[in-house]
Amino acid sequence: MIIEIDGKACTCSPGEYLLNIASRNGFSIPTLCHHDGLPGQGCCRVCIVEVSLRDRKDIVTACIYPVEQECSVFTDSDRVKRQRGMILALLRASAPESEEISRLCKMYDAPLYERLTQKANEKCILCGLCVSACETLGASAISSVNRGVEKTVSTPYDEPAADCIGCASCAAVCPTGAISVEENNSSRAIWNRKFTLQLCRHCGKPVGTLDELAFAARKTGVAQTTLCEECRRKAIADEMITAYER
Amino acid sequence: MRPTPYPFSRWSPADNNKFASAEIYFEGRMLMEIMPQEFSSLLEAYPKDRRYALAVMQDMQRQYNYVPREGLEALAEYISRPVAELFSMATFYKSLSLKPKGVHIIKVCNGAACHIRGAVNLVGGIKRIFGIAPGETTEDGMFSMELVNCMGSCALAPVMTVDGKYYGQVKIESLSAIFEALRNEAKP
Amino acid sequence: MNRTVLVCCGTGCIANGSLEVAEALRRAISETKTHAIVETVIKQTGCNGFCENGPIVRIMPDDISYYKVKPKNARDIVNSIGEKPVEQLLYKNDEGTPVLSQMENPFYMSQHKTVLRNIGEIDPGNLSDYLARGGYSALKKALFMTPDAIIREVESSGLRGRGGAGFPTGRKWRTAAGFEALPKYVICNGDEGDPGAFMDRSILEGDPHSVLEGIIICALSIGALEGFLYIRDEYVLARKYVQKAIHDAESAGILGGSIMGSGKRLNLSVVRGGGAFICGESTALMASIEGRVGEPRAKYARSAQRGLWNQPTVLNNVETFANIPIIINNSGENFTKIGAENSKGTKVFALVGKVRRSGLVEVPMGVSLRYLVNNIGGGVIDGRPLKAVQIGGPSGGCIPEAMLDLPVDFDSLTNYGAMMGSGGMIVMDDRSCMVEVARYYVNFLAEESCGKCTPCREGLRQMLAILTDICEGRGKEGDLELLEEISRALIGASLCALGKSAPNPVMTGIRYFRDEYIAHIMEKHCPAGVCAALTAFEIDASVCVGCTNCKRACPTGAVTGEVKSAHNINQAACVACGACREVCRFGAVRAIKRRFAV
Repeated sequence: MIIEIDGKACTCSPGEYLLNIASRNGFSIPTLCHHDGLPGQGCCRVCIVEVSLRDRKDIVTACIYPVEQECSVFTDSDRVKRQRGMILALLRASAPESEEISRLCKMYDAPLYERLTQKANEKCILCGLCVSACETLGASAISSVNRGVEKTVSTPYDEPAADCIGCASCAAVCPTGAISVEENNSSRAIWNRKFTLQLCRHCGKPVGTLDELAFAARKTGVAQTTLCEECRRKAIADEMITAYER
Repeated sequence: MRPTPYPFSRWSPADNNKFASAEIYFEGRMLMEIMPQEFSSLLEAYPKDRRYALAVMQDMQRQYNYVPREGLEALAEYISRPVAELFSMATFYKSLSLKPKGVHIIKVCNGAACHIRGAVNLVGGIKRIFGIAPGETTEDGMFSMELVNCMGSCALAPVMTVDGKYYGQVKIESLSAIFEALRNEAKP
Repeated sequence: MNRTVLVCCGTGCIANGSLEVAEALRRAISETKTHAIVETVIKQTGCNGFCENGPIVRIMPDDISYYKVKPKNARDIVNSIGEKPVEQLLYKNDEGTPVLSQMENPFYMSQHKTVLRNIGEIDPGNLSDYLARGGYSALKKALFMTPDAIIREVESSGLRGRGGAGFPTGRKWRTAAGFEALPKYVICNGDEGDPGAFMDRSILEGDPHSVLEGIIICALSIGALEGFLYIRDEYVLARKYVQKAIHDAESAGILGGSIMGSGKRLNLSVVRGGGAFICGESTALMASIEGRVGEPRAKYARSAQRGLWNQPTVLNNVETFANIPIIINNSGENFTKIGAENSKGTKVFALVGKVRRSGLVEVPMGVSLRYLVNNIGGGVIDGRPLKAVQIGGPSGGCIPEAMLDLPVDFDSLTNYGAMMGSGGMIVMDDRSCMVEVARYYVNFLAEESCGKCTPCREGLRQMLAILTDICEGRGKEGDLELLEEISRALIGASLCALGKSAPNPVMTGIRYFRDEYIAHIMEKHCPAGVCAALTAFEIDASVCVGCTNCKRACPTGAVTGEVKSAHNINQAACVACGACREVCRFGAVRAIKRRFAV
């Protein structure tokens, strides 16, 4: 199947998401809440584009819009620019501390509205990637709390997270760096809890938290190595060399 | 300047300190003690399935006027779901509350019809009588006031309910008489 | 002759004490029975719609309606049966003449009861009552029809969903029927959350079996074996009657293992709503049934294909289902004879607000707003000027007085920026501030939004802040343009219909009442005298008769004055709530522009 993006013919298979098709064909559509490993968020709405199908033109969300029919897509039409500009301006007001959002605002010419009320000391845009990540890997230590304009992301009762394993996946997927992780040589602090780090028995670099390794062992039924990624690879290579030498 | 007449009711971390326990306290006075086995009878009324989580929590709400923390945790274990997920639901749905409410619950309807027929003035009248704003409970733990969305009795606007009993076309002047009657009824 | 005494026991009448009235009537009947010639039965019915004048008592078949009945009237009513009616309890029409039957009552005479046909006539807790009025005959007929024939009948009726969006019901069913995946589900949306609307509540409370019948017919046509009724937590009475109706229908073999002995089965259960307006949105409602937070999902794949638990699902509103038995019985073609071009049949509205006769009304689609407000509603309370009608709840808009000749149907309203919504209709007079009304709805939506997508959550937060500023005298030049710009992003880029329609109250306000917005922003003046920060009240001493009404209504004790002498308002203590103006029957209390700083 062939669709047209900004005048360029692009091949795709039916049902494929528009954002994937566009990025495969070299179009850069901005996005915040999209993560390849955790698809289907569709809530930051920064990736909106205009789709012309039969005689209708609609604004759609590229990351969750499945292309089912031949259509023309406009990633930078006036309508897209205007609405995306407002969405970015709204995001900037809700997370003024986020550098990523400032960058996108500059890049896509989001107008500056001084009239908008700014939230103080905020980086979070409530995209829900952290909650999805935590749920997907099975810990479910955090969730969305409240609703509407009062919505936040937190642990149950806002207390140090009982179910947290300190893996910091939430922080890794966060597009705006809103989740604070403090780490020194032996411990990591996240969600108001402190975790002891398992250090690589070879090089001494952190492998992960003890809770995380125990959690993985429970899930997989396999005792987890205490080697870091790099040393593990090295160890396998060494083993292979000795195997051939024999 | 008056405070904004329609505050959002939301859960905040400050609610933890006072009401973390399964007993209902007001100003240090215990109103109701909850027995752990009570939870199991509430839980076992439903199959162990995620889809009944809301119903179980609503039953708890009905029983205790709030969802006790122990209840929420017991439910999480019963249906094998994370506590965070249930906590998220409990703060999302407005029929659930994580903090205890008064013995009598006054709900003032702020649906559109009631709003333009003076619901906010009723709130002012109740505040004058009890000194509580929407979302608050009197010091003796007897009355809570809530400002709620449409209760579907718009033709009787403005409407309020006390413990589920409807009062239609309520006038500010008649408020004290209604509550006085309730207070006398409630006296042991 | 056998007489039946019908006592309205809808939520509205119960609030007015109808249960006590019913009890008193029962007692009066048993006491007088020994020498009564007539056999009298008393029945508790669902809502008659005219709640403001409740409790309502009807004597059938004489068709005499009594209003605002008190328990002490019971004996008079019972004694009057077959004799001269109790005149003081009759409704007086616009000319002041007492009228006997509903058909002579101006509130009812212009209505066209189709969906509400049984409500107020039958005991909703009694299956035989429903059967006696032809209930479940449509189901019996449908059992001998092929699924395709049922759907064709619904398609030919042109019925569109009564929940708000007006999607063609037949097309929805056809789509779901076309998918092979099993199981399939049917859901009835009874999570009526629009502030100012109670159509679904009244139908569920007054005629639950008609909804069940519609649901069963739908299930037969799409091949669903399980169904849910999602009913608001607040609707206690409605849930009670629906539960009982399901139980009775199962016991009678109409529902359950073998529908009327056909071997086809359907299980129905009631799900209590969680208390979230967003759960009226179909995908959020399904998430809620599944035991999750009620967040909607993008509808690029329709629910008819992937709905509840990702299975093909038909979700319709209560009123939509209640229309189905009529269509099956009288044919789809007959159904199209009533209504407007692209909106067939009747629609139930909740006519409320500052209208003289408020209540639940059913009219053919396409009648004008003016007809509804003036003929049925009897105009505005106290003869005040009509300013606007808000229609469609938080997703709808305010239609100004000048445009009230607009026909009420799905398409006309959308063209003018409003929306049919589920049918809430709020009448506003010159003492309703359009800016404050817009703020009210935005406030409602900001709290009820699920908070998932950026435009809705953040856009509404900013719109609320700006509208609050305007109402409190901090409006700035350029605010209207900014509100419109934010609205455009909401309409275009929101995830679900809540966000996409959320700007309607603001957009229609700016479109039709721009002057009022400008007055707030530029002159810091609220022409309606509602926005407290911009308003002061004064009493015209030459008009005040000293009735003390205002003094008693004042929440802060700001009104002073003795009986029969002119009253005065102490501005320092006044909070400008307007309670004094509301109760003054002489027009002595006036709203003026607040001159001092607040």
